[in-house]
Amino acid sequence: MTESNTRSGIPLKSVYTPEDVKNQDYDNHLGAPGEYPFTRGRRAAAAGGWMQRELSGEGEPSRSNEQLKYLISKGQIGLDVIGDSPTMAFMDPDHPLAANAVGTQGVSLCCLDDYRELFKDIALDSVVVSCSLPASIAAASLYIIARDSSMPLDKLRGSVIQAPFYVEDCGYASHMPFRLRLRLSTDCIKFCTEEMPRFHSFVEDTYFIGETGLGAADEMALGFIEIRYIVRELLKHGMDIDSFAPRIAILVNCNMDFFEEVAKIRATRRLFARMMKEEFGAKDPRSWSAVITSHTSGLSLTAQQPANNIVRGTVQSMALVMAGVQALEISAFDEAYRTPSPESHLVGLRTQQILHLESNVAKVVDPLGGSYFVESLTDEMEERIWDRVLEIEAMGDPAELSDKGWFKRFFDDTMAGYSRRISDGSLPKVGLNIFQVPEEEDTLLKEVVEGKIEPYWSRIDEIKEFKESRDQAKIKGILREVHKKAKDPGENLVYVTIEAFSAGATMGEIAGMMRMAYDYSYDPHGLIEPFI
Amino acid sequence: MEPIKVYIGTLGMDQHELGAIAVSRMLRDAGMEVVYGGRFNLPPMIVKTCLEEDVNVIGLSCHSWEYLYYLPELQALMKAQQLAIPIVVGGSVITLGDAKKLKEMGIAAVLGPGALEKDIIESIKKFAT
Repeated sequence: MTESNTRSGIPLKSVYTPEDVKNQDYDNHLGAPGEYPFTRGRRAAAAGGWMQRELSGEGEPSRSNEQLKYLISKGQIGLDVIGDSPTMAFMDPDHPLAANAVGTQGVSLCCLDDYRELFKDIALDSVVVSCSLPASIAAASLYIIARDSSMPLDKLRGSVIQAPFYVEDCGYASHMPFRLRLRLSTDCIKFCTEEMPRFHSFVEDTYFIGETGLGAADEMALGFIEIRYIVRELLKHGMDIDSFAPRIAILVNCNMDFFEEVAKIRATRRLFARMMKEEFGAKDPRSWSAVITSHTSGLSLTAQQPANNIVRGTVQSMALVMAGVQALEISAFDEAYRTPSPESHLVGLRTQQILHLESNVAKVVDPLGGSYFVESLTDEMEERIWDRVLEIEAMGDPAELSDKGWFKRFFDDTMAGYSRRISDGSLPKVGLNIFQVPEEEDTLLKEVVEGKIEPYWSRIDEIKEFKESRDQAKIKGILREVHKKAKDPGENLVYVTIEAFSAGATMGEIAGMMRMAYDYSYDPHGLIEPFI
Repeated sequence: MEPIKVYIGTLGMDQHELGAIAVSRMLRDAGMEVVYGGRFNLPPMIVKTCLEEDVNVIGLSCHSWEYLYYLPELQALMKAQQLAIPIVVGGSVITLGDAKKLKEMGIAAVLGPGALEKDIIESIKKFAT
């Protein structure tokens, strides 16, 4: 099966010839790099590099601040911060369910002081801050920090992820209703478009849905469904497509099937360009060309023989560079076991630097363009992605599909199917289901994976003390304001988030009030009472 | 004969559900009954469910380190209730060092990242009887 199909099941021939691309017209299908439909890339000339970064964040904000400075000192250009699981779920560290998860899988951030500590002594006008964090909270915090340091807001570069559709089903559940998740996304995009013009406030993240084991076409189809829905919503709010479309980026997953991943990215650029120009009527060419960033697949890595994961990261990042992505992160070789160790962070960064400076793969734009195989596979991928988009949209309003649990079932089936393919060996994983070694021989780099970060239990008391030290009446007042504004769909929730965060309210409190305004429980787990 | 009844869930804020869902399906396909606890479980909730449902085995899927701290609490609660149900844990984050510690703590079986479908099913069957 693996001999004749891509990972996603696209049939492969052993040889491709001009016959396979005879219907492809250069100007219409490909165009020069930097020109519509951007199949060959977003820019006309080779940029000679890409944004090199590694996902980081662990422990308390000060520890992550050290980690960020360490990566900058090693030559990293962009920052990519991820929150711990309570943070990702809009939960403060003193929530009873959070106790043993504080700071272990990312950085713990719940109030403005935490964000200030995280970015302490880092010049925000000279780095690009990519945030895998609750978007409205992260954008509000960056805005406040930049404003308070008198930094021009058009110098603020970075991104936040908008994932209202799928985050509850296979990411970090926010326990907010779909309408609120969607509103936080559109409010955040509107806010950033007006206040932080160079900031990418609309990153479509297909990375994490890809981690359920989705095929390449399904991954992008679901991504397009979310993009299209949010775009239509923003247009309904009276926004001009060209005001925000140039700031849309797509964060894709990159698995092991080299050419399939290259084709996926090329097809995505073409589809995005056509959709923006023909369907949404965008006139600014910058609106037609999607920024593509990527994260190599954690799912593709194995706990067995972790050194092999360095090879996997190299193959995947090579595909990404040759597909012309704007930024990439390599999942660390110890990903199966832990958040990245300093050793694995450095290997990821060095892999990127070696590709960049020693291999010359980024010197020429779209080096695989014109290959009979790659062009044919790009066409095939384009067709499969779009057929899937239309098929799912024909099933009904995606918001209703989401409410009815259609996507959840789809992800569950995908996960079960993926693990079956691993179990029955139809998806070979060296060291896992083929060419295994006995455990006692599997020692290389194993000392790295045994390292652990203890939960930051001390933060629980610190946050409790912080909460008690505040002017309680003032906090209650501002939280009531959050509730009131959340009840009024005409208000942009980022502005009231800024007010509340500046006043000392925490993320968990703000999120709880917003949930209540939408007739949900303040605490989805029923373990804490509203602070009002 | 009554089918084997297995509780499957994840602990605390461990939101990686892939393993829990895949194993649940595997066990159902093998003729077992699965009480699916899903995500966001604390030890008292697990004990309550397992008492009510009278399960034969407790299966916990671990993709964060929270299990290291919740398992002793779960065991203590079970002991206080005189509840002797074997606990089986599995997941990619469990290192060899962890597995050794877990066995010493009295965890019935530790299914590491390389566990095969048949090992998982056999292991559950063995401890259920």
